[in-house]
Formats: sequence, structure tokens, C-alpha cells
Amino acid sequence: MRAIPLVMLLASLACHAETPQQIRQTYVAEAAAQQPGFAPSAKRGETLFRQRFTNNDKMPACTSCHTDNPMHAGQHAVTGKAIKPLAVAANPERLSDPAKVEKWFGRNCKEVVGRACSPAEKADFLSYLSEVR
Amino acid sequence: MQKILVWDWPVRLGHWLMVGGFILAWLTSESETFRLVHAFAGGVVVAVALFRLPWGFIGSRYARFVDFVRGPTSVVDYLRSLLRLEPDHHTGHNPAGGWAIVLLLALGIATGLVGWAMYNELGGEWLEELHEGLAATMLTVVFVHVAGVISGSLLHGENLVRAMVTGHKQGSPEQAIPSARPLAAIFLLVWIAAASWWLAS
Repeated sequence: MRAIPLVMLLASLACHAETPQQIRQTYVAEAAAQQPGFAPSAKRGETLFRQRFTNNDKMPACTSCHTDNPMHAGQHAVTGKAIKPLAVAANPERLSDPAKVEKWFGRNCKEVVGRACSPAEKADFLSYLSEVR
Repeated sequence: MQKILVWDWPVRLGHWLMVGGFILAWLTSESETFRLVHAFAGGVVVAVALFRLPWGFIGSRYARFVDFVRGPTSVVDYLRSLLRLEPDHHTGHNPAGGWAIVLLLALGIATGLVGWAMYNELGGEWLEELHEGLAATMLTVVFVHVAGVISGSLLHGENLVRAMVTGHKQGSPEQAIPSARPLAAIFLLVWIAAASWWLAS
């Protein structure tokens, strides 16, 4: 059993490429462990994407930087730097590196939502980004 | 031995601006809200370091690289003298401090330029790993440098932190530098403002 975390660590160190489905599945499994019968929903993911929070005046929602449409390129609300589209359909590089996905959930949930996102929220969000056209 | 002027204004100002820039950049490293502050703080570190390179040739006596960059044997001798609790007194930088300067300048420039490349998307994901690795290495050198300054200060009975503020150390009058070079310090401030603004934009 001790070998499993080591394998995961090595996989993350090697910037292991995965498909969006594989990455989502990790969160689905985590969510199902807390909430039996959990099924991810792109609709709930979209609601989260559009929700406005009161945590951060400069970036109250995902849409503050990523625009109302994940198919479009975004612009950083503070620096003005360009951000590639979030939608997998518009940007094939999206959701291919689990470490990167986890990094941005960690950073943006903390700063925009004001707390860590749950595995269920992450699974929903990834469903939305994978399916949106 | 009396109090003499050893560190010119650009050395002292540059030192503390680099300290401030590094701390601010470290504190804002994980934040998107303060991303601009992070880029500006990193820009200050790069700007100070880039100024310090020519200043190491045209600056006052103890600011020059020839005054403090010594070979490994001198460093080992100095560290041995520290371990004997009888450190050799150097009016300017001691050999260990000299290497801290060279390493911190190199790491400051490298970390900042890699960060600047990331900021402008001039490379892949590996730049991020490199940026973090360089910054962590720099923090390690900072800790060693601070430990050296504290132990050196205690053993010499000379407050080296205060010396980096006032510019004064113990020495004989003929060893003093003739001017604190205030004009160059003003130029340093203008350069830092311009360069860090440009790097963060």
C-alpha cells in the first residue's frame, strides 16, 4: 500500500499527461466517497463558473478573468495579461496536467470563492469545461 | 580603530531595496490578487542586481568586486576563523559575505528574468518549476547569509546590520571612503522605478 502515494508523486513529478476524463474521474471518485451515488453535472459546474462571490472585489467570479464564455480567451483582472480559453473544445492543452488543474483550483477557489472547493465542485466544473462548446 | 564610512549610499539602498523586494515577492508568490505586486517586487530585485553589476566596477572602494570576491581558500580560512570564534576582521565584506553577494545577485537576476518570461508566456511549464527552484535556492542563500551576518556580528562585537544602514564600520581613518555617492543613489532610485515598472507591465 505504501507504494501507491510514491507512484502518484512520481507521476506528478513527471508532469504526467492525462485526459480531462481521467482527471475528472479522480475528483468524481473522491466526491463519491463522501457522497454515495455522486454523479458530476456540467450544469452545476456552469452555475459555479457564473456565480458571484463576495470574497474578492477585484475578482468576484471566475468570469472576472475568464469572460462569460469559456470558449473565449480571457484577460487577467489585475495584470491585464491574456489567458487562454478554459474550454477543452477551444484549447486542447486544457485539463491535461492533473498537477496544474489542482494548482489552479487551489489558488482560485481560495482567492475568488474564499474557501477550498470540494471534490464534487471540482468534478462538476471539469464536466462543464470538457463539454462546453 | 574608529567609526569610518565604508558602505556608500547605492550599496546600502540597493541592499535594503533588494531585501524588501525579495520579501514582498515571496509573500505574494501564490496570489493572483497581488500578481502585479509580485511582478513589481521581482522587478525591484532584478533592477537592483543589474545596477550592482557595473557598480561593482565603478562604485566606491568596498563596493567593487575586486575588493571582496576571493578564492575558495580565503572563504575556507574565514569560515575556520568563525568556527574558532575568532573571525578575521575585514573592513569591507568578508570572503563569505562576498560570495553571498555574487550568488544573490546571480540568483536574483536569474529568478527575476525567468519570472518575467513566465509572465509574458515566453516558454512552457518548465519555466515555472525553474522559477520556483531558483527562488527557493535564493531563500536558502539568504538564510545562510543572515546566519553568517548574525554570527559575525556577535563574534566581532560589531553590528553588521546597523553598518549596512549607517554605512559605518570600525577601521582606521585612511581606510574610509571619501564620499557616500548620493548622486548615484538618486540615479539608482530612478533606474529601479523605471526598470521595475517596465518589467511588471
